[in-house]
Amino acid sequence: MIEIEGLSKLYGRDVFALEDFSMHVGKGEFVFLTGPSGAGKSTLLRILLCQEAPTTGRVIVGGRDITRLKPREVQTYRRTVGFVFQDFKLIPGKTVFENVMFALRILGVPDVQQRRRTFQVLKWVGLQHRANAYPLELSGGEQQRVAIARALVNEPALVLADEPTGNLDPDLALEIMNLFREINSTGTTVLVATHDRELIRHVGHRAVTLDHGRLAIG
Amino acid sequence: MLFAGLRYFVGEAVTGLWRGRRSTVLSVVTIAAALFVLGIFLTVTANLDALVARWSEAAELSVYLRDDVSLAERAEVQRALRGDPLVREVQLVTRDEALARFRRDFPDLAPAVSNPQAHPFPASFEARLVSQASEGDALESLAARLRGMRGVSDVRYDRLWLQRLQSIAALVGWGGAVVGAVLALAAALTVTNVVRLALFSRRDEIQIMELVGAPLSFIKGPFVMEGILQGALGATLALGALALAISLARGRLAAAAAGLIDASSIVGLPAATHVLVVVGGMAVGCLGALLAARRLG
Repeated sequence: MIEIEGLSKLYGRDVFALEDFSMHVGKGEFVFLTGPSGAGKSTLLRILLCQEAPTTGRVIVGGRDITRLKPREVQTYRRTVGFVFQDFKLIPGKTVFENVMFALRILGVPDVQQRRRTFQVLKWVGLQHRANAYPLELSGGEQQRVAIARALVNEPALVLADEPTGNLDPDLALEIMNLFREINSTGTTVLVATHDRELIRHVGHRAVTLDHGRLAIG
Repeated sequence: MLFAGLRYFVGEAVTGLWRGRRSTVLSVVTIAAALFVLGIFLTVTANLDALVARWSEAAELSVYLRDDVSLAERAEVQRALRGDPLVREVQLVTRDEALARFRRDFPDLAPAVSNPQAHPFPASFEARLVSQASEGDALESLAARLRGMRGVSDVRYDRLWLQRLQSIAALVGWGGAVVGAVLALAAALTVTNVVRLALFSRRDEIQIMELVGAPLSFIKGPFVMEGILQGALGATLALGALALAISLARGRLAAAAAGLIDASSIVGLPAATHVLVVVGGMAVGCLGALLAARRLG
């Protein structure tokens, strides 16, 4: 699903966020990306979301080199990727239902289908009863579940998460991780960046460790 | 899809305008002020044009005949007048009729003309002209032709002052267009800043839209629609203010210049111009919003 080869990202003249980094994530795999703060996890995810261009290297996702996409192709690519961030990134002026439905609306899905799928996915994350609430009326765990619902509503082949449990207490973090496990069990590839080694140990999947922008051995 | 897209743009734009209602009011009032000034100029120009047209219609060409004119010569002059496309109507005023008119118009001076046979008033043809007669050189050449005819002593017409009035009307029109254009530009820049503020306050939302792969048109659309709606609101406000100003002007004029100027003759802008003003306002808003949103994506 993801092939990364010789990836480097240089900020300024000599600050390497990533340096000659390579990794492979198979289709339907669940992989943790870990390492201390500043190791380059977020940079890698930003590159995978085409928010940043690498300095050198290739990033192949689903068979396409995403570092060479034109702006219009970036839009199409992003519609196939679900993303979840530590700060949830929900639109405060829209209700939970609207926040989730929004991702379908831009695809031109008919209204009735938009509503049906939004309701289904909200039910799946256990928030159908909060559909009309606004994000700020929800707890952190609930907000993250809304963000997960939005990431899933398009049925993406790949879900990227950047410290999705960073703002949550350990019980809630585990709950969110269980959701990711369920997503993965349907065949969706999941890549989760986290510095929480305890959580990784608990969930128990392959972990790729970054250190100062390089793949850490051992 | 198109309808759904438009509905989405309008819905989001209305929400956005309400959310930033203070700056919305600012740009709507700026657009309204610009279009109001433009509207005033347009109204003044339209009324001056109407006045010129009315006066042109009343404009007369007088062809004075020599006292010794023969019937054949008089008939020739009459034919020349009737056959000219600038002439709408021809009336013969005989010497006796000219005298009678003098006595009627100036009764105090009437006794000065004691001998009805030896008065100085010549016979003449009075020609009413079509309203476009004061434009171009056709009238000049008709007058020259008539002057050269046998039996004609003089040809008089009031053209210069009509031309001057027309020049003034054109000048007011141009002045209005220039002032209006400058104000419209200022209004567009105000919209640009208001939309830029909206873009800034909703930058997170825009980032989320970009991340879920929203097309650029989908992201820009609501902001451009906000500009268009601000323009439409501003134009409507301007037209309302203009209607009020015209009705106030009529009232003032009726009171101050009763008998001199017919206040009811002041006309507002035609319906087509109203539509143009609204479309113009929307265009100004759209331009401002597009300027603000050009860096998106």
